[in-house]
Amino acid sequence: MIRVENVTKRYGETLAVDAVSFTVNSGEIVGFLGPNGAGKSTVLKMISTWLPPDSGRIEVAGHDVVKEPLEVRRALGYLPEHNALYDGMRVDRFLRFVGRARGLDGAKLAERLAWVVDKCSLQAVVAKRVNQCSKGYRQRIGVAGSLIHDPPVIVLDEPTHGLDPLQVVAFRDFLRGLRADRATLFSSHIVSEVAAISDRILVINHGRLLANAPTAELEAKAKASGRDVEGVVLEIVRAKGAAA
Amino acid sequence: MTAVATSRTSWLGGVRLVAGREVASYFDTAIAYVYGIGFVVLANSIFMNEFFLTGTVDMASYFEALPLLLAIFIPAVTMRLWAEERRQRTIELLLTLPITPMQAVVGKFAASLALYGVFLLGSLPIVGMLSALGHPDFGRIAGGYAGLLLLGGQLLAFGMFVSALSGDQIVAFVASTAVAFVLVLTGNPQVVAVLDGLSPSLQLGTLLRESISPMPHYEAFVRGLIELPALVYFGGMTAVFLALNAVALDRARA
Repeated sequence: MIRVENVTKRYGETLAVDAVSFTVNSGEIVGFLGPNGAGKSTVLKMISTWLPPDSGRIEVAGHDVVKEPLEVRRALGYLPEHNALYDGMRVDRFLRFVGRARGLDGAKLAERLAWVVDKCSLQAVVAKRVNQCSKGYRQRIGVAGSLIHDPPVIVLDEPTHGLDPLQVVAFRDFLRGLRADRATLFSSHIVSEVAAISDRILVINHGRLLANAPTAELEAKAKASGRDVEGVVLEIVRAKGAAA
Repeated sequence: MTAVATSRTSWLGGVRLVAGREVASYFDTAIAYVYGIGFVVLANSIFMNEFFLTGTVDMASYFEALPLLLAIFIPAVTMRLWAEERRQRTIELLLTLPITPMQAVVGKFAASLALYGVFLLGSLPIVGMLSALGHPDFGRIAGGYAGLLLLGGQLLAFGMFVSALSGDQIVAFVASTAVAFVLVLTGNPQVVAVLDGLSPSLQLGTLLRESISPMPHYEAFVRGLIELPALVYFGGMTAVFLALNAVALDRARA
């Protein structure tokens, strides 16, 4: 559902993403790990069609992000890094706007709006303006906007940023519940959070993909060496960073 | 695959969606009210001052004064259109929806043109007053309003383009105002005479008035004439700046 092949991106002289390749299949939740500035958001922005890759190829639901950007955007639910929202809009109007842009209308839009409001627990703020909502609510509004059209592919950049611990746990369950027939890629710099949700973990640093392994494999490695998954991931980052 | 099948939003549907959100944002904040009241009070005051001095039952002084007022007022409307989207980072949200940059540009343009049109409606009491006092030439008045809409459309399209190039509202405002003043003033007979006097061989003033200034075309509308070259000029310039705006948005991503 998401196919990233040998993708490179530069910002001027800085190599932000260096020949990265991976796939995310339908029914799979993949966590994208890396420290700040590692290149996670740049990869996700390229998948979302916001940034064009300098070289390589990205497909979302069988559509090329450069040649068929509108098809990609229709198939994709995307939560950008800073979760920018239209502050002056009422929450329900914002979600309707996003839903309509995604091709929903009438009864279908009303049904999906009710669904995201329920699943993202937005009942208390649905008639408020976005700028009257707390950070946690704003994050959930962003997630609701990315899911309103029930997309087959979800890309979420730091989706738990701003959520309190209870909300993080609820979000994990929510994301797992969306798994069926859907490819989900989400980024975080918190190892335990990614390990708790993901079927597979990608580790990126300095623009290079350092690991692409099933979570179970990393957990087994951690258990065998008497550490936690965080320790194993840190070892990968340090070892491959030194080798580079 | 997932359950909900979405339909493709038509090109005009996407434009309407962006325009609707933009119009709502004007009225969600104080922008529409502050700009609207300021514009109507200032424009109508300028007219009334002239009206009491000349005592003629026409709107010539209104249509003569408006271009200079628009050179300040329209950049004040357009400066935020893209600069604010960039500042709030909502531009990434908007342009990763299934909406093309051109749909977004035309949607914002339509919204700002509609807002400007509503502000022009604030001068209708003048028309009512002139009708009550005498027999004004309604053909000229209609032509004047058509000219104001077309001139405003051109300045809106240019201001939006500058806003797309700049991440800063103040820079966008200053640059748009400066160019708008040049466009309007190069059509002013006194400025033309001064520039011609400075360069007698080149006739710079006449050259600028005939080549870049919208004023000769605008003045034809104010005289009640609807001329094809004027329509082509305003339509062409507006379309060019809207297209450049869409290109600027595309380039801003890379």
